[in-house]
Amino acid sequence: MSQQVITYADLSIINNALRSISSDMAGVHSDLGSINFKQDQLESELDKLATAFANFVAADSQHKALQLAETRVGNLRQDLQIKYGYYAEIRRMATGILQSVDTGIVSDDTLRFSTEEIMIKAPGYWLAPALIVLSAWIRDDKNNSDKALTESLKRDDYKTTLFFMLVMRRLGRNDASMKWLERYFMHQNPHYLDREFIVILEAVTTGVFPPAARQLMMTNVKNWIVQLSQTDNFINEQKNQWITFFRSVGQVGDTYPLLKKFAANYADLESALRNAKAYQAMLLHFNNIFSSSADLSKVVRVQLDEILTLLVTNFDEEELPLQKQVRLNQLIIEMDGDKAAAQLKMDAEQHIFDEQVDFLQLLTNAAFNPQLSGATKATQALAVSISQPWIIEAHDTFTAQNRSTIPPQANLSIDGFNTATANGEDETAQLQKQEAFYKNELALELSKLSFPYPMIAIGVLICLGGLWGFSYHVVLGIIGLGIGAIMIWSKLAAHKKEKQKIADNVAERERKAKEVLRGCIAELVDYRKEYAVEDNKSEQLRELLNEITPQDFSSVSKETARNII
Amino acid sequence: MGKILFNEPSKTGTGPASQKTTTTGTGFISDRDLLKKRSKKYIDFLSKLDHKTLTDTKGWNEAMQIIQEEFGTAELASLPLGIVSKCYLGHPYEVHIMDLSATQIIQHYKISEPMPGEFEKARGVAKHNTYALVEVYNDKLVLLREDGTAIKL
Repeated sequence: MSQQVITYADLSIINNALRSISSDMAGVHSDLGSINFKQDQLESELDKLATAFANFVAADSQHKALQLAETRVGNLRQDLQIKYGYYAEIRRMATGILQSVDTGIVSDDTLRFSTEEIMIKAPGYWLAPALIVLSAWIRDDKNNSDKALTESLKRDDYKTTLFFMLVMRRLGRNDASMKWLERYFMHQNPHYLDREFIVILEAVTTGVFPPAARQLMMTNVKNWIVQLSQTDNFINEQKNQWITFFRSVGQVGDTYPLLKKFAANYADLESALRNAKAYQAMLLHFNNIFSSSADLSKVVRVQLDEILTLLVTNFDEEELPLQKQVRLNQLIIEMDGDKAAAQLKMDAEQHIFDEQVDFLQLLTNAAFNPQLSGATKATQALAVSISQPWIIEAHDTFTAQNRSTIPPQANLSIDGFNTATANGEDETAQLQKQEAFYKNELALELSKLSFPYPMIAIGVLICLGGLWGFSYHVVLGIIGLGIGAIMIWSKLAAHKKEKQKIADNVAERERKAKEVLRGCIAELVDYRKEYAVEDNKSEQLRELLNEITPQDFSSVSKETARNII
Repeated sequence: MGKILFNEPSKTGTGPASQKTTTTGTGFISDRDLLKKRSKKYIDFLSKLDHKTLTDTKGWNEAMQIIQEEFGTAELASLPLGIVSKCYLGHPYEVHIMDLSATQIIQHYKISEPMPGEFEKARGVAKHNTYALVEVYNDKLVLLREDGTAIKL
């Protein structure tokens, strides 16, 4: 085997190959760049597509939900029609019968026939026997009337009671409506009162019911209050609400700009004054309640009739599950298929219907804002006079809190001078204190200014040089002395000027600060005066509250009782 | 859809149910006791301390007896720590404390002279003319109006 000796390595081929590889790689790199770019583009396109798709799916599901809701509403309505169709008919008839009872133009036979027919058609519905009671009562058929009444009460005691209480009131049957009212009160639980209770309370207050009703109501009310105040913290809860109410009514303007700027505890001073201003506002509030003399019984009569209408036109509990579903699907349609939004709205509506309050809360609501709780001024006055004991307690606590939290002193901070004054009586002493502060301030500022010893020393040296210069030449000596003297003189003058500047500056500060201090003290004097005047009104308010006796709200309506409570 | 007025389960049965009532044990009941109206004798005696002297044992005993009658207990623990009221000795005195704890003395305080511990809080209200006396407890103040009405703070 021959041995091949490589004399020299010819790497040019490899080099060339490597070069071509690297140029190929460059090509690959540029391709990769463009691929990357394309991929980015693709990704963003895909994103767009995904969003569009998600939107489409959402829209589609909403659309489907909408279609489904529409179909369901139809189906549910049919269901309702099949199961409770007669209920709707009875409700229509009830209104008609009530009107015909009012006018007396329908014959007894017709009434009897149609009411008995619906009794057969709608088993389980309380309104059917109730209407039979009415028709039997009109034709003086006591036997039938009693039997139907028992049945109606069996089916729904509460609604039957409310129904007959309102109908008897409407027909002016005092004794009967009293009996029903008594039964109605027995149904009420002072911990959970219905929304319509306020209207009934109002009706009794304004004298829409016979006078004896007031006595009945007050007996119940007294028992409830005894019951509520024995157990939970109901009274304390109302008391706290009143305190919060007291706190919310006071208002202050921007009367004390200097104190606002220079008193560190102005926020406390302001809140004390705001609270004290509440008395005037509350005086107006209570006077307003008791000074009104409008006869509101008319409004109440309309409201009572509204309850009656609602009672006979609203859905019965049996129908409610179906009716709720119908409502939900209706809402889905309204919301264009958005189920979540529809459910939210449904919950909100439900909450309004579910609202039940305890008796004391009902009184407080009526006393704060009668419009919001659906009461008139008559009920507001009644509510205030029933709540009077704990309104006074709230007033006392509010007043005591305010009196104990008003800052005894105003902490002033003017241009670095801190002082405290109780009521501004010590103005002279304060001004003296301030003067002393500025004297001290001046000394402090001056001590910071150093005397120009080095420059003066140089001046003196130059002067000495000048003196020595006399031995050579007179002119040289004069020049030397002159320069030295001018240096010393100018430095001294500059120092004096500086001192004067500091003194002027401090004096100017003092002048301004003095004005501010005087202003603050003047404002504080006014503040204490104003506070004292407003604070005194607390006794006026207390007297007014103490004077609230049940007779007071009798002026609200001529018919209102004078002997409530 | 019409307004649903009665969507509650039917309310049969009569009378207000009391199943929801829970007794709270502390706070409310004791508050009512604490805030009962004070007797005229109690208010009168204690607000006239400036005019008489209690240095002799007899006077002090009488005072303690009136206080114990008022609270219906001889236990010191349930009594206030002390009673602060406006001082009518004249300038510079502004308030005084009748200390019901162990020391049992009457101490008059000048304007801006600090009062011990809990008592300082009572100063502002004690000076107010509306309140005849301020009972100071460990954790609260009870302000008494001249007619005996008690207000907790």
